[in-house]
Amino acid sequence: MMGKTIFIDPGRCIGCQACVSACRECDSHRGKSMIHLDYTDPGQSVASLPTVCMHCEDPIAPCAEVCPAEAILITADGVVQQADTTRCIGCANCVNACPFGVPKIDLEAKLQMKCNLCYDRTAYGLAPMCATVCPTGALFYGTLEELQAERPGVQVADSFAFGDVMVSTGVAMVVPADKVQWPVPGGLPVVEVNGVDVR
Amino acid sequence: MTRRATLVATAVSLLLILAIYFGSRMLRDFDSALIPYAVATVFLAFGVAYRYTVWVSAPGARRLFTKGWGSLFSAENFRKAPTALPKMIATYLGFQKFLGARSHARWAAHQLIFWGCILAAAITFPLTWGWFTFTSSTGSGPGYEMRIWGFKVLGYDSSSLIGWLMFHGLDVAAVLVIPGASYFLYRRMKDRGAMTGQRFAYDLVPLIALIVISVTGLLLTFSSIFLHGGGYEFLALLHMVSVVFTLIYIPFGKFFHIVQRPAAVGMQLFKYTARQKDEVFHCRRCNTPIDTAPYVENLEATMRDLKLDFAEWAEYCPRCKRELRGNAYLSHVKKGFK
Repeated sequence: MMGKTIFIDPGRCIGCQACVSACRECDSHRGKSMIHLDYTDPGQSVASLPTVCMHCEDPIAPCAEVCPAEAILITADGVVQQADTTRCIGCANCVNACPFGVPKIDLEAKLQMKCNLCYDRTAYGLAPMCATVCPTGALFYGTLEELQAERPGVQVADSFAFGDVMVSTGVAMVVPADKVQWPVPGGLPVVEVNGVDVR
Repeated sequence: MTRRATLVATAVSLLLILAIYFGSRMLRDFDSALIPYAVATVFLAFGVAYRYTVWVSAPGARRLFTKGWGSLFSAENFRKAPTALPKMIATYLGFQKFLGARSHARWAAHQLIFWGCILAAAITFPLTWGWFTFTSSTGSGPGYEMRIWGFKVLGYDSSSLIGWLMFHGLDVAAVLVIPGASYFLYRRMKDRGAMTGQRFAYDLVPLIALIVISVTGLLLTFSSIFLHGGGYEFLALLHMVSVVFTLIYIPFGKFFHIVQRPAAVGMQLFKYTARQKDEVFHCRRCNTPIDTAPYVENLEATMRDLKLDFAEWAEYCPRCKRELRGNAYLSHVKKGFK
């Protein structure tokens, strides 16, 4: 987990889409929102899940690893940048390899785009757009100490399980205290009947 | 890998040296004033071949490289869609339609740089290697002959339009490159999106180099026409230093995209041929088309090569991945998100 990072608490998310609108204003991808807001069980639950790039640390950035054009740069502070416009060939390897379903692709422009932690802001100490506007604190930007000072006793997890594989990330999620010792389930379905996922 | 890359790079450099030697008719047509340029191209060949070998050895690139060339050399593909490749090369590599989808201004500026550089390379590389010669059968002209490898290919009058274009081709190239590179330089200083994470050596040096080469090149013409050669030697030296530096920089910086970009055509051909056969892979959960089936298979193999042992996850669309993760969080971590 990075020093200053985003902490996601889906329990606080009210699905208002303020983060989606604010993300569009980010200078590095003006007009296009990179944050995803998914309603996980529509019709049954109002639960919603905001997804920003998790900035995978171990294995380091699978999107960058599978990139055939060496287009995704990871800066020294652990931020996985969006594809270099000069290099990206629009193959979508990153889009489909990302275990969190984060990168987007513009097939006409042959260009991948993704959350870069609002690097134009965070590099200067400002909070990312999404965390700045989130009215409920579902997206919090700061250090773990700052989060815990504001929300005493809160616990976070920065590892996710995809089947047998564990992925450690730079961005963390808020979890109940009794769940801290386990990685957060990544959602990879494993229940199959005759090769068909039945979850 | 380093050893293999060194071997390939050495072989390519030696081949170029041989091509220079024989192409200049055993150095008979070689212009010794251009030695620094010729030496720089040999270094360029070494650097590009080395970097290219290292690049295509990485799992992601290697697999797409193989698939791209496989699609290219498939007789079946050629029979089915003989125009697919030339069309892709023209629209993608030549006219760069995809850049228009990013920004019209960037497309226009890049086209200026691209065609200017193509023109300049087509003139200067064969000239520095001694492959082209321009000789006059009548002493000082005006009748000139252009020869390639000693064979006459064109005769022209130096005072004609063709003659003017032949002698001023590099000036035309400079006039194309300067506005294009200047626009990008301006953008790098003004556009906050472009400035995010930009690096001097990677993003600005190539543009400055292109402008310095073009301006000093134009000044050489200016000197010879208006100053009777005043300052020519200094300008020639400055021009040479900037060109040599840029040539040697190509394999290491932003300019390497010139070498990498054609890989995109291979990738597109690989996907295009599968789409022709309706080999589309659908998300296992929501049935949305993800991509072509051979592409997904290729990506899963790449992930396994990289020990990313969640390759089967590539069979789900990004939205389903997020929703499944949300559901798992909802049911296993924070029940009801409480």
